[in-house]
Amino acid sequence: MSLRELKVCLLGDTGVGKSSIVCRFVEDNFDPNINPTIGASFMTKTVQYQNEHHKFLIWDTAGQERFRALAPMYYRGSAAAIIVYDITKEESFLTLKNWVKELHQHGPPNIVVAIAGNKCDLTDSREVPEKDAKDYADSIHAIFVETSAKNAININEIFTEISQKIPLLVTSDSGLKGLKLRRDQSDLTRERACC
Amino acid sequence: MKRLDDEPTQSGNRTSLSGKLTNGDSVTQRNPVALLQGLRLCQEAWNPGSPWDRQGAHAALWGRQPGSFLVVSDSSSQNNLLCVSIDDQSKKVQDFPIIHTGSAQRLNTSHLAFSDLLQLVVFYTLSRDVLPLCLSVPSWVCGLTEQSELLAFPPGPKVWLCPTAEPLPETMSPGTPDTPDTVMCTIQLTAANGALCFINPLYLQEHGDDWLTHTSVSTTFTSRSFNPKRDRRLSMARAWPGAGLKKRAESLEDSSASYESSGSPVENPVSPVIPSGVVLRRASSTSTTDPLKRVSADSISPIPQSPHRVSWVEDKPWNPPAPSSLLHPPCLELDSLSMSSIEEETDVEPSASPSLVQNSPRLPLADKVKNRLSAVSQALGGLMNPQRRLSKRVQEMSERKGSAFAEALRGFVEQTLKTKATCVVTSTEILQEVRSSLTALREMLYDSSEIQSITDSFGDVPDFELDTIMEQVLHKVALKPVSTHLYESIKTARQQNGSLQQLQANQNTLKDKSLEELEGTAGAGVPDAAMLEKIQQRWATMHQQYSPQKKVDLLLKVCKNIYHSMTVNAKPGVVFGADDFLPCLTWVLLRSNVVTLQIDTDYMMELLDPSQLQGEGGYYLTSLYASLFYISSFRSRLATRQLSVEAQKSLSQWHRRRTLHCNQSRRSRNRRTIRRHRSGEKVNEDSEEVTASTSEEKKGQWTLDANDVTKRLQSLTESSGDEKEEKQNGRSVDLQ
Repeated sequence: MSLRELKVCLLGDTGVGKSSIVCRFVEDNFDPNINPTIGASFMTKTVQYQNEHHKFLIWDTAGQERFRALAPMYYRGSAAAIIVYDITKEESFLTLKNWVKELHQHGPPNIVVAIAGNKCDLTDSREVPEKDAKDYADSIHAIFVETSAKNAININEIFTEISQKIPLLVTSDSGLKGLKLRRDQSDLTRERACC
Repeated sequence: MKRLDDEPTQSGNRTSLSGKLTNGDSVTQRNPVALLQGLRLCQEAWNPGSPWDRQGAHAALWGRQPGSFLVVSDSSSQNNLLCVSIDDQSKKVQDFPIIHTGSAQRLNTSHLAFSDLLQLVVFYTLSRDVLPLCLSVPSWVCGLTEQSELLAFPPGPKVWLCPTAEPLPETMSPGTPDTPDTVMCTIQLTAANGALCFINPLYLQEHGDDWLTHTSVSTTFTSRSFNPKRDRRLSMARAWPGAGLKKRAESLEDSSASYESSGSPVENPVSPVIPSGVVLRRASSTSTTDPLKRVSADSISPIPQSPHRVSWVEDKPWNPPAPSSLLHPPCLELDSLSMSSIEEETDVEPSASPSLVQNSPRLPLADKVKNRLSAVSQALGGLMNPQRRLSKRVQEMSERKGSAFAEALRGFVEQTLKTKATCVVTSTEILQEVRSSLTALREMLYDSSEIQSITDSFGDVPDFELDTIMEQVLHKVALKPVSTHLYESIKTARQQNGSLQQLQANQNTLKDKSLEELEGTAGAGVPDAAMLEKIQQRWATMHQQYSPQKKVDLLLKVCKNIYHSMTVNAKPGVVFGADDFLPCLTWVLLRSNVVTLQIDTDYMMELLDPSQLQGEGGYYLTSLYASLFYISSFRSRLATRQLSVEAQKSLSQWHRRRTLHCNQSRRSRNRRTIRRHRSGEKVNEDSEEVTASTSEEKKGQWTLDANDVTKRLQSLTESSGDEKEEKQNGRSVDLQ
């Protein structure tokens, strides 16, 4: 089975729960074969998707406004971006729209965009209606889920959907070549092993 | 039988050793000295520093292979804590506090004291004593050597605990003899024929080693049959990693049980054979007048130890090697276990030593411990691993007059030393030149038949690992002579364009800002004075490294320290991501030598192989780069507009640089395909095609990226008039 490394970048306002989502994703099905990383800013997790292993290299970014200019350094070369907003903060949804714009203009071509409306457990203080967000996501052909890192709702689903949306190797276009290279390597290694 | 005892075959010797260590890990098949050295070299992996605590260790050990362990410091008691994974089924992790008494360390439930932690750990990998099972050590540890170029990335706890991880390819060549097991150093004595005994240096200090001669009376054991069949079976079960947890669990119950289950009905688990030789604990419980009793009287209960508490392992009588003339003179400095110096000198072919030991006549054990130390150097002769051979060979090639590689290398060094940063030539250009030369030199090495013969012996090492090894080797011959010059060039260039001055000026402006003013999260701590001091030392060490890989490794250590400081006083369960880390890193940088750091960052960014920028090292290097960039581009509100344009300009340069590198990478990928062909392996034609086409695509992407950034720059310039919108979007980057 081949291994693909997929760089995934996390974007979104500070405090919306970017790192909580990743932590939940990485720690939930704790896999002793995955080595813990230094901190939650960079985490990895390998999941199986069809006949491939997808190793997610998850790059968190600082969401503060003042660090925003630094984001391109982080999202370059990403196969996917997860943009997170807080359903109880309308402002964070506006920021999300800016991120989408920026990624479309300057992000890697064909980057898979996933939108996560986090803190969906706090329905009482909801400010962003689910339908609005869903409609917006559909309009830009993005993955959309409402999540709760706290209650572990829809966390794995985001990544599964990303796996699904990542173009297959054979038909993939220019978005993923760096990753493909790695895969080729492991293929070669495998072949060598059995010859 | 006697003959077998005296002159075991090489494999017999290997298996007999492992066969006796009933509950030890397969690693004990290897040379104990290698184990000791390996553990010393990767101490950071099993004894990680401050960010690790009991909780972290438990989380990391949870569900690991039984015997997996970490030593962490216990924040409540100031003592070390040995955390051991007991059972990967029930996911149990147990703690064993390590007590410091004077100069000795021991487990609080045991009476066996050791002079340092390393010796304690080595002991418990070989004998369980009070533990429910022996500590298990990944097999690659034995292959670690001081010169191991891979130590540039010393494995951390994660690699340590990963059962499948093999950070180093097999380093013991298949023919490595086990006979140099006959070694004696501060904690262990191992006879050629497999008797293994631990001697505590604290004991030797007090009582000398004359008692060792008592061994000669231990003849009872000769009657015990050496059963190669049994031993081989045992060792096979052991060597097979998937031997099954059940089997393992059995052996945990009681070490003697595993004797039984492994087909040695002669053994009676209830009355273990009591050797009269070099056995500290046994002897002490059998005779109160025994001199050994003196040591152990206060520490060992008079009640005979239960079989599973045996602290010795013996199959055959103590059988030291002859102090033959071929042995080196005693070298006491080996006490420190610093073996590097010896290894540097010895270049013994592995096959040389076994015959030596086999032919040595039996002599009664009479010499002082220090004489045995000579055997250590012999043992080390066999440790020469492929990486080291590679490194040595490349070194040789670089010194060989007239060889193409030496010429190319000399040309590169001369050229690089001649190049000076000027207004026309930027440091980036110089570094890019260096990077492409490194790639070219690497290709040259790959093409050399001398090197191919070594890389072929690496076995199934993935290409990217091979590249890493090759890079390391190359850094030594190519970067070492020019690194200082490169630092100067970077510095000059950055002074000429004013960016260093800018960085320093902004550092002064910002240095008194608190973490909150840097938008750090409340609740995240910053490094205290002591930690800050430690970090400064790490930065200094980082600057001293000429290898960009080693630099990244130190950077990771610093980031780990920062993370530790962030979490140490935080509420449990709080997760700190980049929102918290970047301000904290910035806070640390503002209190560090930003000029040197900028130089090192440039050096790493440009000289690292681009393939190494995807993972954790790449992430934190990006963070360092970003944070320095943030500091140097910090402007007051009035100048904000200009900032973003400059920021983008710098970014576009950054993209361009990556483009350049990737084209180089592309070439090396193609090379690999060729290598495969050459080594006579079938390469699927399809994958070859894919390799080629993806490379092309890759090239395309990078070009696209650069175009993209240019476009972005234009759009920014266009929108620069629209300040209102900008402010609404909150895009202005400033601190007020």
